[in-house]
Amino acid sequence: MKVTFPHLGSMHIFCKAIAETAGIPYIVPPETSRKTLTLGALHSNECICLPFKMILGNFIEALQKGADTIVMVGSGPPCRLGLYDLVQKVILEDMGLHYRWLTIPPRLTWRAIWKNHEETKELRKELSAKNIFLFPYGLWMGWKKMMACEALEKLAMKVRPREISKGETQRRWRQALSWVDGAKTPKTLEGAVKKGKTLLQEMEQDHSRIPFKVAIVGELYTVMDPHINRGVEQKLGELGVEVTRTSWFSTHILRSVRQNKANQASERIRFFEASKAYLDYDVGAECNVSIGEAILRSKEGYDGVVHLMPFACMPETTASGILNKVGKDWDIPILTLILDEQEIEGRIQTLLEAFVEMLEWKKGVA
Amino acid sequence: MGNYLGIDVGSITTKSVILGQDDQVLAKSYIRNSGRPIEAIQKGLEEVLAQVGGSISIHGVGTTGSARHLAAYLVGADLIKNEITAHAIAVVDFLPEAKTIIEIGGQDSKIIVLRNGVVVDFGMNTVCAAGTGSFLDQQATRLGISIEAFGDLALQADHPVRIAGRCTVFAETDMIHKQQIGHSVEDIVAGLCDSLVKNYLNNVGRGKEMLSPIVFQGGVAANRGIQKALERELEVSLVIPKHFDVMGAIGAAKLVKRANLFKTQFRGFDLTQKSCSTRGFECSECENQCEVIELLMNHHVVACWGDLCERYRHREKA
Repeated sequence: MKVTFPHLGSMHIFCKAIAETAGIPYIVPPETSRKTLTLGALHSNECICLPFKMILGNFIEALQKGADTIVMVGSGPPCRLGLYDLVQKVILEDMGLHYRWLTIPPRLTWRAIWKNHEETKELRKELSAKNIFLFPYGLWMGWKKMMACEALEKLAMKVRPREISKGETQRRWRQALSWVDGAKTPKTLEGAVKKGKTLLQEMEQDHSRIPFKVAIVGELYTVMDPHINRGVEQKLGELGVEVTRTSWFSTHILRSVRQNKANQASERIRFFEASKAYLDYDVGAECNVSIGEAILRSKEGYDGVVHLMPFACMPETTASGILNKVGKDWDIPILTLILDEQEIEGRIQTLLEAFVEMLEWKKGVA
Repeated sequence: MGNYLGIDVGSITTKSVILGQDDQVLAKSYIRNSGRPIEAIQKGLEEVLAQVGGSISIHGVGTTGSARHLAAYLVGADLIKNEITAHAIAVVDFLPEAKTIIEIGGQDSKIIVLRNGVVVDFGMNTVCAAGTGSFLDQQATRLGISIEAFGDLALQADHPVRIAGRCTVFAETDMIHKQQIGHSVEDIVAGLCDSLVKNYLNNVGRGKEMLSPIVFQGGVAANRGIQKALERELEVSLVIPKHFDVMGAIGAAKLVKRANLFKTQFRGFDLTQKSCSTRGFECSECENQCEVIELLMNHHVVACWGDLCERYRHREKA
């Protein structure tokens, strides 16, 4: 058995950690590239959204490299994303690729647990007693690495707008991530995080700069993966903006296991509540949260909001219409970026530059 | 203060202007790229130089438009600015009380919302190029009429046909149907103008507050059919600046003037005499397979871009 998973953001790092620690053979999909997208787009319905195509491309490349078991998170309707796992399964089967599939349930319900039990029945036969014994430890390592990746990314988002040499944060952050990826024990992981944080903090910075504060909201795959959003987080940072986002793997996992009322995910409940002034029901996916977050960010004194969505994404198309009004009502500039297959990096750069200049104008800096 | 050069290289046309002491337009050129932006930039420089009598000293160069980086490498620009800001700057000086700018170019359409001379909101088409000049161009060619005559022809229509406005690719299907059941060319052309305007207002203009005075600029502002259709939809008359076709270039020149340069990077007008070309290759170092571009001037590599990892750019510096 060789498991594989989406490359998405830092997901490949912590999924690999789970498999590695539990001693289960794995294949990390090759870094998402133009080839990944070409493969994904070729084999999927033309109308489907960009994240779907990217993730499908990851799976095809991993299967071609010899993986035979795919682990994918499921989610729920009404958005097409909720059917990702089901549709991707059919496509891969039609392509004649052989593999086993394991869906990680989006919500812990009895039905999901039963489905999971059925799917893992066969797989468990192939696992050794040692694998099963080490699995909880693997999960724990995976969680630790995920938190490490998130902490490093948050730090990178903070230092990037103050960097003196453009692109330096990005290089150092990638270096730090590779240290985290390489750590095999809790102790080395702790060391890697410490070293990575120091690497970022010790970078030459202009501390006198007061960067604009912008929140990135929108469809979660698009927000979390720089290949899908064409590096919006990095581009904004390098234009001198301190970026914040609340879509992280940990937030979504905590929400799935119904931990949201307790701690970290409570912020999202707050956003959801705030959206009620405009939306009286849950549209699904991140729609309500995108709207609520924009409102609250305005109250918190943020300078702007960048809203990311894949072309033709239903919940976020709904959100973008409402965000137009939110921007006016709350006097906060909101830029919606629609992403699709085309190479629109230049266009995104143009829009982000103009957006930042608009913020400067608003503040009376220019 | 001196003279400043502004170059706006869009996807379809290249615009160049020289602004004099008091920001007056000393020379301007508007030419089609025909897919060869480098030649177009060289030709544009030649044209503006000829208009000022063959010699002028330039104190700064600003570039804008989707090929602003290419243009900057080529001419040696002092300032590279996105086209949204460039257009806004040009309008703020021309009509300080302007509240909305509609800019429709070859491949781009934008809306810029101004309040008290400051940009407060903007929109630009991203993944879709519908509702732009190139669609009109294409249809004009298909109907065998010149794009210059297109707008006036639309004004002669008695009953503009209704054409689906959701997407111009779909609109074409609709349009051919109307043509085959016998509608006159004038009515179809007028219908096309209406459809493009609706598309623009629905996509780019959606949710934006379009208050008067509204300035209409960009290449398509020459099209009176579109102007009338916009005025009908918005129920206001539009202000079209004298230099509507080169406003981006004017903005770029103004911005570089404001930057108060010490010394310009401009390579000089003799650039037009040099052999300039680009050479592309596909890098095979990783899966990204970047298409890397090198700019050659008199057979020497002077700039390089397109490499995501920047390995070639750095090699060149080293």
